[in-house]
Amino acid sequence: MGTAVRARRLLAGLLGAALSGIGPAPALAFANVAAGDPVGDEELPTLGGGRAALWSPRALANVFVFFRPRQDHSLSTLKAMAECEREFEKRPVRWVAVVSGDWAREEVLATVAEAGVRFAVLVDAGDELYGRLGVRLHPVVGIADARGRLLDYVPFHKVNYCDMVRIRIRRALKEVDQAAVERVDHPPRALMPNEIPGAVAKRHLHLGEALLQRKQWQKAAAEARVAIGRSPELAAAHALLGRALAAGGRCPEALRSFDEALRLEPGNRAAAEGRKACAARR
Amino acid sequence: MARRRTVHILVALAGLAAAGGVAAAGPRALRKHTFKVRLGPLPANQKVAWSHGPYEAGDCSICHASADPRKPGPVSKPGNELCFGCHEEFQEIMARRYKHPPAQESCLHCHNPHNSAEKKLLHVELGAGCKDCHPAIREVAAKARVKHGALETGARCASCHNPHGANVEKLLIQLPFDLCVNCHGADGMKDHAGVSLTNFKKLLEENRFWHAPVAAKDCSACHRTHGGDNFRLLVADYPAKFYAPYDLKNYALCYGCHNEKVVGEPVTRTLTNFRDGSRNLHFVHVNKAERGRTCRACHDVHASKQPLHIRQGVPYGVKGWILRINYTKTPTGGTCAKTCHETKTYSRAGAGASRK
Repeated sequence: MGTAVRARRLLAGLLGAALSGIGPAPALAFANVAAGDPVGDEELPTLGGGRAALWSPRALANVFVFFRPRQDHSLSTLKAMAECEREFEKRPVRWVAVVSGDWAREEVLATVAEAGVRFAVLVDAGDELYGRLGVRLHPVVGIADARGRLLDYVPFHKVNYCDMVRIRIRRALKEVDQAAVERVDHPPRALMPNEIPGAVAKRHLHLGEALLQRKQWQKAAAEARVAIGRSPELAAAHALLGRALAAGGRCPEALRSFDEALRLEPGNRAAAEGRKACAARR
Repeated sequence: MARRRTVHILVALAGLAAAGGVAAAGPRALRKHTFKVRLGPLPANQKVAWSHGPYEAGDCSICHASADPRKPGPVSKPGNELCFGCHEEFQEIMARRYKHPPAQESCLHCHNPHNSAEKKLLHVELGAGCKDCHPAIREVAAKARVKHGALETGARCASCHNPHGANVEKLLIQLPFDLCVNCHGADGMKDHAGVSLTNFKKLLEENRFWHAPVAAKDCSACHRTHGGDNFRLLVADYPAKFYAPYDLKNYALCYGCHNEKVVGEPVTRTLTNFRDGSRNLHFVHVNKAERGRTCRACHDVHASKQPLHIRQGVPYGVKGWILRINYTKTPTGGTCAKTCHETKTYSRAGAGASRK
């Protein structure tokens, strides 16, 4: 481990200690390489013959997938990455997979064929690359930039793995910013319909609007009142109440509702028009 | 209006999937309800617990061409567009990354638009309706030797899954950990056998070094959430005790991600940093025909106060006496002070084992 890695680890540790509240201590990516470190430029033999490096200066995102045969997670990851590779095929993204040289060639070939992988598979004889980077897990995805520096490390995730890798490739391509990565890593809670703020009020509002269209002003007013009861700040509900009351000939009350709607939302057109019509009738 | 329409609903998942976030999941088989779906109001002799507002108020024309309850005629708009006219929140819900194909196709696959004996106007009870299209889950839950209480309590499937749309794969409401701690983040929880379960909120607050799947909120990497045959719903075998004869298959859980060669090679300079020179100390501790130390002897699988998930102590024996590990990290290795054995120091820079 280099001095730079140790310094970053120390800094990360100090930052972590300074943080309060629940949260994991910062972890290094590969055991021996941190984000920002070079991943090395040696060429390895490929499964198909010839040699290839882990990264190319022509690619803005160099994606490498460490995997092994006879492992469900590796197979599902390779399948997902094979699909992902097709998605990025017109962009400067380079893909390789890396497998330990200890596995029988036939086993590796079978896994690669089952996954539908089209990109090169590097064979790490003697686990030299594994050892140098400190690859402890399978599968794991690393992403390096055009200078061969590690940008990201994504260990296997059972859920949302593909999304996490995809967004990091897009960040390497400068298509998205870090905030987009954060949104994928921390997806918002998927609220149920009734948990969404204002949802129930809006249902009553829309039902009331439909009833008013059918000239049922009393029912429309009732729905508007329910909506207001649930969301007093919903200007559209006050406007609906005003329109329903006006339709029932109760302009003095309607004006109060229109005024409230305009107070909450000065640009509310329905309230402004309703108010104008009521005022003209007086 | 009281006519009964019986429909066997074919949900063309593959075609719909291509339109939504489920595309990544690939083509899916067609699925079919085995129960009969009733779209008209329940017959008079059937218990009604919930009614749709417009139907209850007799406002048939909100949805139908006519206001006459005896002859309401066809609905005024096709498909979900009609429902979303009032249920505006579905514009956001159905824009989420992952969508439930039946919900995309028609709300009526799961809901009766008039009335129902079930909450949310569901055709059948929530869990039963889900399992009808997801028979593999029904089978896992029924046959599992170790059950997960979440499937039969609270909102059942909907405790963890949003049946309309979600931002996480498998229509999970949140990332797994955030869902799990809703229940497993409090004291007093017990399993089916009455054994107390860990309060994970507290554990993680007190132990800042988290195992990567825990830090990734990925509990399902190791636990089978619908039920399973292994202790603690683990997805694969993992030794439950301190000692075990070394057998690769006993560690299937760990080797689902970790490299099994870490315990298989007596000599290495690449597989692990837990080595004295090139002598692999993982091999020394674990790879024994009889009393091999299992992973749990030294590592806490969820979180620890020390790096590398090294425990401070491990429960040992029938009374759970805490055996101190007394590990200290050094620049090139570490030291374990005596409890398991006399104090030993290892160094990756060295040529072999050394003792103090």
